[in-house]
Amino acid sequence: MTVLKATMDLHESYVDDRRERISEPLCMPPTAAEPTTSINLAQTLFQPSEFDESLEEQLAQSISSCDRRHPTVSTEIPNIFPHEHDKNFLILTSAGKPIYAMKDSDSTIGYMGVINTIMSYFRLKEGQDLRCIENDDVRFAFLDREPIVLVAYSARGETSNELFSQLDFLHSYLLSSLSERKLSKIFSKRQNFDLRNFLESTDFENLNEICSLLCERFYPDTLLGALRSLSMRKSHRAQLHEAMSQQLNKEAYLPRGMLLYGLIVAPDNKLCSVLRPKGHTLHTTDLHLLFCLIFHRFQNLDDSQELWVPICFPKFNANGFLYGYIKFLSKGNSILVLISAQKDAFFNLKSFADHLIKDITSSGLLEEIHKSKGFKISDIPAPLVHHFIYKSKKHVQYVMPELEFHSDINPKEAMELERKFMNYYQQIHNSVIRDDGLSFNKSCLNFIKWESDADEPSEEPIAMLGLGWITPKFELYLLCNNGVEDKHVIFESAKKIISWCRKHESRLFVNEGAIF
Amino acid sequence: MLQFKLVLLGDSSVGKSSIVHRFVKDSFDEFRESTIGAAFLSQTIKIEDKGSQQEVVIKFEIWDTAGQERYKSLAPMYYRNANAALVVYDVTQQDSLAKAQGWVNELKTKVGEDDLVICLVGNKLDLCSGEEENSSKPKAVESSEAEGYASEQGLLFHEVSAKTGEGVRQVFQSIGEKLYESKKHELAASKGRHGVGETGNVQLQRPSTNDATSCCS
Repeated sequence: MTVLKATMDLHESYVDDRRERISEPLCMPPTAAEPTTSINLAQTLFQPSEFDESLEEQLAQSISSCDRRHPTVSTEIPNIFPHEHDKNFLILTSAGKPIYAMKDSDSTIGYMGVINTIMSYFRLKEGQDLRCIENDDVRFAFLDREPIVLVAYSARGETSNELFSQLDFLHSYLLSSLSERKLSKIFSKRQNFDLRNFLESTDFENLNEICSLLCERFYPDTLLGALRSLSMRKSHRAQLHEAMSQQLNKEAYLPRGMLLYGLIVAPDNKLCSVLRPKGHTLHTTDLHLLFCLIFHRFQNLDDSQELWVPICFPKFNANGFLYGYIKFLSKGNSILVLISAQKDAFFNLKSFADHLIKDITSSGLLEEIHKSKGFKISDIPAPLVHHFIYKSKKHVQYVMPELEFHSDINPKEAMELERKFMNYYQQIHNSVIRDDGLSFNKSCLNFIKWESDADEPSEEPIAMLGLGWITPKFELYLLCNNGVEDKHVIFESAKKIISWCRKHESRLFVNEGAIF
Repeated sequence: MLQFKLVLLGDSSVGKSSIVHRFVKDSFDEFRESTIGAAFLSQTIKIEDKGSQQEVVIKFEIWDTAGQERYKSLAPMYYRNANAALVVYDVTQQDSLAKAQGWVNELKTKVGEDDLVICLVGNKLDLCSGEEENSSKPKAVESSEAEGYASEQGLLFHEVSAKTGEGVRQVFQSIGEKLYESKKHELAASKGRHGVGETGNVQLQRPSTNDATSCCS
């Protein structure tokens, strides 16, 4: 089996490596499960010139351990992950009543009973909450958010922290729909309340959608805790923010404080521009929820209708509802969202939106948003790199080259491709992040390698190399073409990507936004 | 141009959004997502002034509300200043008529406006048309039953199919005509002033009480 082989190869090569570097002050607990060669950087800032010397030295060590076969470089990367990874999410009440299961079956209710019993046992006997159970490749994560309990089961190798953040996302969804206040009100009256009777069909559809995003799609947003941003020319973004500010200043219909936030969001959940009060930002999770809701629920809407949607932003205020004015700027394209705390602010916000849209349409800015197509890996002089994700910590945003699909790809293949990317990036990310979600060091650089001989002579042997690089300013996750083994070249490419991203920072990221 | 505010009410999945979509876009989407919150749309129609034989243009500003129980407490915000209400039920679901009657009662007690035009609409007529024997569902609500109730309460009554479009336009046409008839005299009186459509062009500007009230409290 290809994949099994790959994993075994991994373990062997890395064990050797660790032995070599045993004298180094490793800042991570050396667990056998981490298939990495690790290089830790003392620098806290990115300073390319100083960087090179010390890193070069360390690199030389790890590179010498690689045997150099004739490299075969391919533009297509192989899928080394089994198709049927086992994973499930279960949601139940603290009293043990089922609420939701991603993969529902006859035995689900039984499982929930068992889960409830185990959790209660730990609480009573050990006086603390059960958080995690690990058994070989399988991991259970438990998140107790009284009166709701969430459980993840996975054989896909996520860190506990990643599973917790996925569970938190599902919990946040429930809060966004119901609010904490409502939830505790229901359960304070009756602890054994069956929440399924209170949830609407749309809630289950939304939970399905979120689970599918987390498990089946290339959706690094929760993994990275960041928003994807739309790249557009600096001057255009500035004009857009200027237009938003100006409109706010001259809008007589809009009493102060009525508008809390304004956002323009492009398809694929890409943030385009922000209008916000000084000193306030919305939490990333809240925005993830909002974007999921918009692009899932409203994807077949067009610009003929405007929506007025109550939503609780759990990280902003889990007890209250905010109201979102949502308008598509054209069918299936970007949207304008205006958020207010007042439930009857619709017409005021509508008036603001009408004027703003008229303004940015006549000045051609709307056209510029729609024209923005992102960038391709070939736009950056980074040899042998297949794809990367660059996250700017300051902006809490990330960018990546557009995935380039064949034009004749069918939806199923596209989804497989997305999942393959997600799997690679999860493993790269996990190689530089501890199980609790913190990085091993302030700065940390890691190569990770997947290897396997071809099963058939006609197939290409798998030799995939990835790089994870974390500093206080940025995170870079990088995936090489199949067959690439030269870590020097990859390191140079990584530096080029970083310079490129920093050089184009104001084009790639939404900086301050329009502040009022 | 006259402007009137119209609100759609009714149980979830009786087809409120589909009716509006048929009216505004003249199209039908088999797999429409449930509405969350409410959607605001507008559409104009032309009616004929019976006296002068002149064409009058009427613009409907439509609130398509979510039928789900959770959003029920938000409904007053949408019907408060409405000139007309479309209360929709599903002809294949007896329960939905009871829900519709609940809405009619609420409108009658809560809306001060005496001129509020309420139209009871039975949707999904296509399901029991009998043309496709296999997919045909029994009609759970007889026309006579709903019609009897409507005339008792002084409501307009229509049966429609958003899927085929049958009867949808007539609903809005008849509401427009009725509104025009009842507002004609007021309009004539205020003709000199600007803003003929003031009655319909209502801003929801009453002071909000607070932001912490949940939509489902």
